[in-house]
This record gives sequence, structure tokens and C-alpha cells, in this order.
Amino acid sequence: MKGSFIEIGHYNEAKCGERAEGDVFLSRRSAEDGRVIAVLSDGLGSGVKANVLATLTATMAAGCAASDAPIERTAGVIMRSLPVCSERRISYATFSLVDVAASGKLAIVEYDNPPYVLIREGSLVEPIKTEIAVKRHRRQGGLGSKAILRASRFEARPGDRLVLFSDGVTQAGMGSRQSPLGWGSPAVEDFILRTIRAEPGLSARELARAVVREALVRDLGKARDDITCGVVYFRDARRLLVLTGPPLYPERDAEMARIFREYPGRRLVAGGTTASIIARETGAKVKVELGRFDPEIPPASTMAGADLVTEGIITLGRAAELLASRDRLDSLPCNAATRAIELMLDSDVIDFVVGTKINEAHQDPSMPVELEIRRNVVKRLAAVLAERHLKDVRIRYV
Amino acid sequence: MIQKIRVAICTGTACYVRGGAELLDLESRLPAELTGLIELEGASCLELCRDRAKGQPPFALVGEKVIAAATIETLIDAIAAACGACGGADSQEARR
Repeated sequence: MKGSFIEIGHYNEAKCGERAEGDVFLSRRSAEDGRVIAVLSDGLGSGVKANVLATLTATMAAGCAASDAPIERTAGVIMRSLPVCSERRISYATFSLVDVAASGKLAIVEYDNPPYVLIREGSLVEPIKTEIAVKRHRRQGGLGSKAILRASRFEARPGDRLVLFSDGVTQAGMGSRQSPLGWGSPAVEDFILRTIRAEPGLSARELARAVVREALVRDLGKARDDITCGVVYFRDARRLLVLTGPPLYPERDAEMARIFREYPGRRLVAGGTTASIIARETGAKVKVELGRFDPEIPPASTMAGADLVTEGIITLGRAAELLASRDRLDSLPCNAATRAIELMLDSDVIDFVVGTKINEAHQDPSMPVELEIRRNVVKRLAAVLAERHLKDVRIRYV
Repeated sequence: MIQKIRVAICTGTACYVRGGAELLDLESRLPAELTGLIELEGASCLELCRDRAKGQPPFALVGEKVIAAATIETLIDAIAAACGACGGADSQEARR
């Protein structure tokens, strides 16, 4: 699908009182062919034990899919490999596996999770599913029974959204007077449709978060089970330009300003000198925002044409650190680094244009060692954005 | 109408890590006689760290005067001096 970007987002709330999540959502994008694999797995029970089961399952499912193993074999491998729960004498974790080729060809296999939801042009679409029976082994508690997998294949269209969720979502609020049997798939579908209608451009990340938050409200703020939602969204690529660092030769300043002016997307300028160059070349004014004051992250500025202007090395370094260290990035203090992260996560294609002039003052031995060379910071940031957050990242040096 | 003294604090990388962050708090630490006499602003980078002859970061400008290795105290001194040069805080008070 040309021009379309496959955005993957997920959100998770561990069962109240548990430190480890019993549901696991993982996704990978192949750098070579753009193929995307995403898996949601719900391990038996909760806490660490469930996390181990779910992590194993999700990792194996993703690995097998990436090596093009037939799904029956993948399911067999998973079921035979999972450790057996000492209490329940069974080994078990559900999974929903989504395999998307860059062309938009989709293959989905589900095992015991609530059925996924496909939204196309604002409506629910019921995909055709075929059943595959996989024999379970005695030691898995199956006593010769068969596990039923449901497979569906179709061609995604631009704007399609695929929503996966664990039973912590459909069973949220169970036992309450309002919904004695839990939220339920039909009501969840309804909520998703209403949320998208209210905000048609909602990102995968935001939709996943909205679903989990609503489920949590129904559980009165204390998750009774692990609650997870993952969304695959085929959307028009949102582009972000990150301009950082003065060019090595001042003759290239005009080129940098031209890239800034002509960029078809949002623009982030990270670096004081860089901002001064762009301001000089475009006739804009940089104004530092002094309202919020963070002792660690220099304040952001405003400049005509830029969505955000920040300091360079410290801010980008902190952004890389946060993006690498945390899964949930929604309750961070508001500063220039977290605002930069917000812009990055909300974009699909991120173009870094990096000036390579080194500020010698930063190399003073009395400066903190965290003041790395810009190229290294950008490399780290680009890697985490591509690998962990599945962004299409390009770097150009000027 | 009092002509306020412009104080620009550099928020560039080198200045920020060398204590520039604290300087943004200047207004709340001004002595009473200087309160309301300055116009504080941040600068994305004053580009003074490039030139070693200019001194060490953090840098600030009080009016047109460059203050290197700036601290709240040196800035207050510079502001007081600038007030003295333009008539002094006391005489400005008197004109009000």
C-alpha cells in the first residue's frame, strides 16, 4: 500500500497488585521488506508466571511467523514448549498473531483471545475465519482434545484499523450491577466505533490507550485481570522533521533552511544554534518559553514554522533514554524532552537532518560526560525509535 | 515609564549544564529594590561559548553587557550597576 504506513500501538494495565504483566504485546518490523508481525498473548493466571508464559508464546509466535512456518506447526511448537503450571497442571497462553506484508496482505491467527475487531471506513467489518484444529498433548491438560485456531486472510485498505484485546477488556466490570457479565465484545466494539467517529485521525497508540482506560474505569480503577489492547492502523504516513546541529560548513545553512521550509510534515528544531540559523535564514524569531522551568531539561522555544524548538544534546539524549527505558510514556512531566517524544511517537516517518559541526565548548573535560557528540545521540535515538517504536527513521547528515 | 533592563539568559547546552538552569529563577531571587526593573528572557543560544576569550559558560546578557560564568549574585550585581548607570533604582523609584 503506497503512501500508507502501518502504525502499531498498544497499551497495558497489569492486574491490580501484580508487578509483572500477564499479557504481552510485542511487535516487530522487518527492516528489509517492511513486513510487520504483532502478537498479543495472555498467559494463564497473572503476575510473573503468566508473564513468562505470555512472553514465550508471543516470542515463539513472532519468530515462527517471521520464518514462514505454517501456522499449525507454530501452534504445535508453542503448545509443546510452554512449561506446565504446577497448580493447574496445564500449560497455556492464548495468542493473536497478526502478520502484515508491506503490500497490505494480512494473515491473522487467533487462539482463545476475544475476537479481533476490524474497522473499515468507520464501520465494523466481519472477516471470514477458517478453523484449524491442533491436537493438544496430554501433558498440556488437553487429554487428547483439540485446540481450535481461527485464521483469516485479507487485503488491508488504507484507513483500516485492527484492534486486538485480551479478555481483561471484555470482562472488565464483571459482577457489577451495570454489567454483570463484563463489558462484552459487542459493547467494546461499540466503544471503539464511537471513539473513532469522535476523532477519525486517532492514532493506534491513543486508541489502545482509550480502550484500556475505559476497561479500567469499568473495573473501578483496579484491574481485576491484565488489560491489554493492541492496534494496527493503516494510515497516511505522518512525517516529522528533526533538524539538529549546525552544518559543518556555514555555506550549507541555506540548504538546511530550505529543507525546513519545504518539509511536508511537522518540524522539530533541536539545538540553540540550529534554531538561530533557521531563524536567521527564514526571518523568524525564536522565543524561549520561561513559564515552565525544569532543572534538567532546558526550556522549549517557539518559532514560526516550527512545531517545537528545543535545546539539542541534553533534550534528545533524554528523549532517547525515556523511549528506551519505559513502555508507558503517558504520565511524564511536561518538558521539552517529553514534548519532543510526544511529537515523535505521533509520527510514522521521522527524518533526521543532522548538522555535524562540533561545539568545542561541549568537549571541555569539566563538562558532564552525558554531553555526547550529536551524531551518537541521534544514532541512539533513531535506533530506539525504529526498533522499539517501529518508526520509519531516516538520517541525513549535512 | 521605566526603561526596564533586558536580561537574557542563555539556555543553550553548555550554559544549561553549567548552572544556567538556576539563572532562570532570577526574578524570584532579586532583592526588593530591583524587583520589577528587569525584563527577563531566555535565549536559545547566545553563541558565546564558541569563543574562549569570552569566558566560561553559563552566559547571560545584562543590557548589552556579557556576563560570563554567571551566577544569580553576579547577575544581581550587574543589574544593580546598570541601574546605577541609568539613574539608579532609587531615583527611578522617586520618579514614579
